[in-house]
Amino acid sequence: MNNALKIFKKEIKEVLKNKSIWLPILAVSIMFSVIFPGIMVIALDSFAKDPDMAGFIARVFGATDNIQVALMQFIIKQFMIFLLLIPAMLPSLIAPASIVLEKESNTLEPLIATPIKTSELLLGKTLTSMVPAFTITLINFVLITIVVDVLGYIKLNMLLLPTPEWFVVTFLLSPIISFIITMISIIISSKSTDIRSAQGLGAAVIFPIYAIIGAQIGGLFLLNIKYLLLGCLVLGLVCPLVLKLAIRVFDRENILTKWKMK
Amino acid sequence: MIQVENLSKKFGNITAVDNISFEIKDGSIFGFLGPNGAGKTTTIRILSTLIKPTSGTVIIDGKELSKNGEYIRSILGILTETPGMYEKISAIENLNFFSGFYRMEEKKRKQNIEKFLKMFDLWERRNALVGTYSKGMKQKLAIARALIHEPKILYLDEPTAALDPESAFMVRSFIENQKNEKTTVFLCTHNLEEASNLSDVVCIIKNRIIKISTLEELQRSKKGKKIEIVFNQPALKYADFFQNFTEVTNLEAKENKIYFSLDNPEIINPAIIKKLVDCGAEIVYFNEIKASLEEIYLDLIRS
Repeated sequence: MNNALKIFKKEIKEVLKNKSIWLPILAVSIMFSVIFPGIMVIALDSFAKDPDMAGFIARVFGATDNIQVALMQFIIKQFMIFLLLIPAMLPSLIAPASIVLEKESNTLEPLIATPIKTSELLLGKTLTSMVPAFTITLINFVLITIVVDVLGYIKLNMLLLPTPEWFVVTFLLSPIISFIITMISIIISSKSTDIRSAQGLGAAVIFPIYAIIGAQIGGLFLLNIKYLLLGCLVLGLVCPLVLKLAIRVFDRENILTKWKMK
Repeated sequence: MIQVENLSKKFGNITAVDNISFEIKDGSIFGFLGPNGAGKTTTIRILSTLIKPTSGTVIIDGKELSKNGEYIRSILGILTETPGMYEKISAIENLNFFSGFYRMEEKKRKQNIEKFLKMFDLWERRNALVGTYSKGMKQKLAIARALIHEPKILYLDEPTAALDPESAFMVRSFIENQKNEKTTVFLCTHNLEEASNLSDVVCIIKNRIIKISTLEELQRSKKGKKIEIVFNQPALKYADFFQNFTEVTNLEAKENKIYFSLDNPEIINPAIIKKLVDCGAEIVYFNEIKASLEEIYLDLIRS
């Protein structure tokens, strides 16, 4: 564990120095955690007055006394999905960068020639991806809650966040997603010498998240705690499978003989 | 320190290392020579527990390789074919990072970092990013990394490649000094002069072991010993005289010297000398020229 922390400590310093990783994340975070929720809450009145919107809300939620509160709950469900963007995006940027960088500088062989265990090396790389993803998700969770609650209280005189669903997304679903993406990124990066192709995976894995947002906006379904827990269960079952694959990829002999090197 | 018995490694249908056996004594320097693709790096990787052998046994420091990977890696230092340093952090950060995986007291670790950076003239630039270093500086830093935990065994893969003559000399002196430190050195090199000057035992490999012995034994065993005769007069007039000796090959006359090869000089040389003296030749020197490692190596590899 100690060795994994050493890997994590060194790599996190490099991540912080790498603007191409954290600048897009910062931009996405500010946009989805502060600007969009702020605009949505401020524009709530005009949305509620729109007869089409009122009809849509009635279709999704059924009859409701307070269309503004129903609309706000609908918007919150969208932002809850946005919370999953960071755990999906960040590992798909960090994990390939970390592995391709090792390949570029030929540091893997001297590194695995130290007494470090391959499980510690894998854990160190995983922490480098997951810790920032979870930290930023947590910050976003707090920021959205503050923005929505402050503006929502002014408008509706009520606190709308956090809901149990938000806790499930933040503390259960987002770590599971970032773990899976990290493992998949590591597996793909072992076969790639080009950082961009390895990072291209990020775009692919974010697609299902956009699909859920689209389906919700289209009124096809609404995510509730039941769906979220089911999602956690299904994805939780995927975790040991991707971990097993990643451990196989991280075998010393595999690294030296099967990984595609520069 | 290292005992290798019937070691083989196959990658699919390709046999990289074919049934090799050798023993390396504690504190000795073992020169490992061979052409590209001869299995040198594969052997180092097996001995470093980085890849598993297909068959055979290896015992290092009394411990079986396959069951003691972590221990074996903790007592060895390795210089890989390429320096392999993190270029976006400084030299001192690199050494701090790598040395952190070995059990060492913090004070000793810091002392060693300073000692080796100073030894390899890198102390002044210890805080500069390694990416700004020259090839030679990176190589020296990689050697410092291999030594930082004072390993019992040192695997050096082409240690002086990419170094300027002064740095190469420094590294060679350093390797020689390892004998005093009782470090066992496994020296993989293409530089035959380096191998012959430093190694106690030389092993020539081309997937399987072609020859393994001390340099003196190799020289003694070489067929066709080269003889040099230095005359007090021009040598050319004695060249025809050697046609009487059918055992003589590769005859060459240059100014006052004659060179030739013989398989059995102990028998033929006295007769040659007698005949030459009888013919009035004034012989200044009569020498056996010892074969260089390069000649022996090329002979063995070609055969």
